[in-house]
Amino acid sequence: MEKITNFFKSFLLLELLKGMALTGRHFFARKITVQFPEEKTPQGFRFRGLHALRRYENGQERCIGCKLCEAVCPALAIHIETEERDDGTRRTTRYDIDLVKCIFCGLCEESCPVDAIVETRVFEYHGEKRGDLYYTKPMLLAMGDKHEEQIAKDRAADAKYR
Amino acid sequence: MINLEIDGKRVEVENGRTVIEAAHQLGIYIPHFCYHKKLSIAANCRMCLVQVEKAPKPLPACATPVAEGMKVFTASEQAIKAQKGVMEFLLINHPLDCPICDQGGECELQDLAVGYGGSASRYQEEKRIVLPKDIGPLVAAEEMSRCINCTRCVRFGVEIGGMMELGQAFRGEHAEIMSFVSDTVDSELSGNMIDLCPVGALTSKPFRYTARTWELSRRKSISPHDSLGSNLVVQVKDNRVMRVLPLENEEINECWLSDKDRFSYEGLNSNQRLTKPMIKQGGKWQEVEWQVALEYAANGLRQISQGAGAEHIGALATPHSTVEELYLLQKLVRGLGSSNVDFRLRQSDFSADGKQTGAPWLGMPVAEINTCDRFLIVGSFLRKDHPLLASRVRQAVKKGAQANVLHAADDDLLMPVANKMIVSPAEMTAQLAQVLKALATIKQATLDASVQQVVQSVTPSAAAQAMANSLASGERVAILLGNFAQQHPQAAQLHLLAQHIAALCGGKFGFLGEAANSVGGYLAQAVPGAQGLNAAAMLAAPRKAYLLLNVEAELDTADALQAMNAMRKADMVVVLSAYKHHAAEYADVLLPITPFTETSGTFINTEGRVQSFKGVVKPLGEARPAWKVLRVLGNLLNVAGFEHDSSEAVRGEALQGVDVAGKLNNALRGLNAQAAASTPAGLQRVADVPIYFSDAIVRRSAPLQATRDAVQPSAYMHSTALGKLGMKSGEIIMVGQGQGSARLKIVADDTLPQGVVRVAAGHAATAALGAMFGIVTVERA
Repeated sequence: MEKITNFFKSFLLLELLKGMALTGRHFFARKITVQFPEEKTPQGFRFRGLHALRRYENGQERCIGCKLCEAVCPALAIHIETEERDDGTRRTTRYDIDLVKCIFCGLCEESCPVDAIVETRVFEYHGEKRGDLYYTKPMLLAMGDKHEEQIAKDRAADAKYR
Repeated sequence: MINLEIDGKRVEVENGRTVIEAAHQLGIYIPHFCYHKKLSIAANCRMCLVQVEKAPKPLPACATPVAEGMKVFTASEQAIKAQKGVMEFLLINHPLDCPICDQGGECELQDLAVGYGGSASRYQEEKRIVLPKDIGPLVAAEEMSRCINCTRCVRFGVEIGGMMELGQAFRGEHAEIMSFVSDTVDSELSGNMIDLCPVGALTSKPFRYTARTWELSRRKSISPHDSLGSNLVVQVKDNRVMRVLPLENEEINECWLSDKDRFSYEGLNSNQRLTKPMIKQGGKWQEVEWQVALEYAANGLRQISQGAGAEHIGALATPHSTVEELYLLQKLVRGLGSSNVDFRLRQSDFSADGKQTGAPWLGMPVAEINTCDRFLIVGSFLRKDHPLLASRVRQAVKKGAQANVLHAADDDLLMPVANKMIVSPAEMTAQLAQVLKALATIKQATLDASVQQVVQSVTPSAAAQAMANSLASGERVAILLGNFAQQHPQAAQLHLLAQHIAALCGGKFGFLGEAANSVGGYLAQAVPGAQGLNAAAMLAAPRKAYLLLNVEAELDTADALQAMNAMRKADMVVVLSAYKHHAAEYADVLLPITPFTETSGTFINTEGRVQSFKGVVKPLGEARPAWKVLRVLGNLLNVAGFEHDSSEAVRGEALQGVDVAGKLNNALRGLNAQAAASTPAGLQRVADVPIYFSDAIVRRSAPLQATRDAVQPSAYMHSTALGKLGMKSGEIIMVGQGQGSARLKIVADDTLPQGVVRVAAGHAATAALGAMFGIVTVERA
């Protein structure tokens, strides 16, 4: 009995028609392919992209060199050196993130008591040499300065969940 | 003994103990801040509240004495509620600045807040602010708002340091810890307040903001400075020493550390470090490869030993060198055929050599000092030379011991001194003979023939009589000879007299060793023996070649002027040093060696304890451990027996089969006491080695050099003597000694005896002067 059913199924190309039907449905359905880089995917306010160091509105850098991010980093990607600045405050003399090591888990951002290190929505960046992806303090501060508006908006959106 | 029950467990403790001690005996932890096992009970933090059966309210465990049948609950509902409440109160005024606080990560308040506190604060009002204070270059009191007023620092100052330098002023919410009228904290033990502070109110100034505690790896080491051999925890990050903490050892340094041991690490990476071998060619210094420098040194030494004779080679080392270094140095020199090797650079009287029955040592374990009830301390700047031993004597005095002092200066020991005789250096032997005579009369003992003659010639003064009475009435007497007595021109006489005094009162007799390896130097045989020249003779009759290990000739020797002359006259001076220093003027080869943190080695402390340590960081630049350098020098000079491949092998050879305890003996045999020569005319020099100029590392530690103990030395004189010279205190004068002279400020000091001028040694400002003892002149500049 089974043999007969199979014979008629293959004879009538039923499987083929089923497949064609699926293709046909998608042929007329709304397209979801994003034409990157002309088009962008939508991002949430918690998107974890390239890091940035923020400043306060008066231009003072936020980071106080507590090294909690360095301690929490599971990939050991952060390297910080600190000293007492002339005004007596604790500041970093070095703040490096090795993006080759970074796994973008966001724990640094979460551990920061002053919201200094953040992950921005920027994910389109590249390096031509390995060293290009070793971000130093001036590079991270520049990132922060450039994207501060977006960063602040995202933190505000996330505030009520924290 | 008292039986009580804590959390259902029965324990038996001595009467008079407190509940917290009983709990610790059981291994039950009770949270606390103000309680510290070495300090008195204050019971002001209230963190240790526990529930006691039948007590209506919770009681502080640290201040509640145990009672028979007591039932204590440390984790009952009432106790937990009390602890939580106390923690909430403590945190009310505590700033939330843990992220920048240096104490963060090792903070007792942080730990206990997590363990015993609530999850959130209900306090909405303003927090109190306590203004920062500047209390000196070592201890930072920048964030006094963090203080929880446990008063541990205050109690430490009063009870251990001997001086109240911090106190609690005002009351209630306004209470704050402060020093006296913007004074600094100058105690030589002040760094311990940093360890004691349970929060981040008192932190280390040199360490400030440089690293977080969790980044540091802890490595054990031994202090290379004073003769105590304090156990250290050296904390390292990225191959750099970041700070030094005490390693608790009840038998040596307890849980304390002197500032010298704690802050000297700042000198390790000084910009004066020598990092490449250098040779002088045509009067110019050139950096060269190790091979070149070593061959140059070896050739020079070989030429002199083959030409002029090996006895023209002299080797000098500081007692801060390790056993391995000293052993290889003497082996090298002896291998070349010379016995001129010595490590006792500041000693001026060597008449005891050959009559010693062993290596001079403390004469008892360090911990036994606390149990003595009578002390006779002869010639010691005790507090500055031996900060922690001084603290032990202080503890004994506090328990009722009597301290007697014979010295040439009357520095405040910060403890009650029963009898003191402050006399000029030349009178010290006669004074000690008086004490011996008075003691012999009390004890009705006949004295040994070796001291008969001296004793007959003196009549005990009232002070000597009082001192003898004090010593005779003691049960556990300790006679201690300090650095000054060892450097004294009649050191052997003082030694002999002290030995007899100790024998008469059945007490212990010992030397407060000068440096970390003062005992080890003897056991490593770095002494000349019968054939060789001792340190003083080697410099008095200049040699053609010198081998200097860690030595800065003008600062580390008894007679700076003589030492410099000898160095300038020598044809070949090979300097093994961790630092570039004045040797650039007279040396021919500079070989960079490593300080204690970068080499393995062994120190034998003043009680004869052999303590080995490993290097904690890699050598800086091309510097190499001195034992390796000496080993290769031995190979290049074809001296047999230089095949060691580790410092352990060197130590093995140096100390193999040596019964260290059996080699320690202070007794002198065959030395006769001589009547003291009449007091010389003129002003006698009294020279101390200031605490922060005693060795190469501390001299280069910036924070220590910024302390009050490290100010430029002045000359001190009694105001009457000063008046006679028609000078005023504060004037700049010229101190002359032999051919040398130094421009110094003269300061009146009425605690000094008449006829002496106190001028420190070991400092560049006084290096142009001659011997540490002798006649000096004071003239208008």
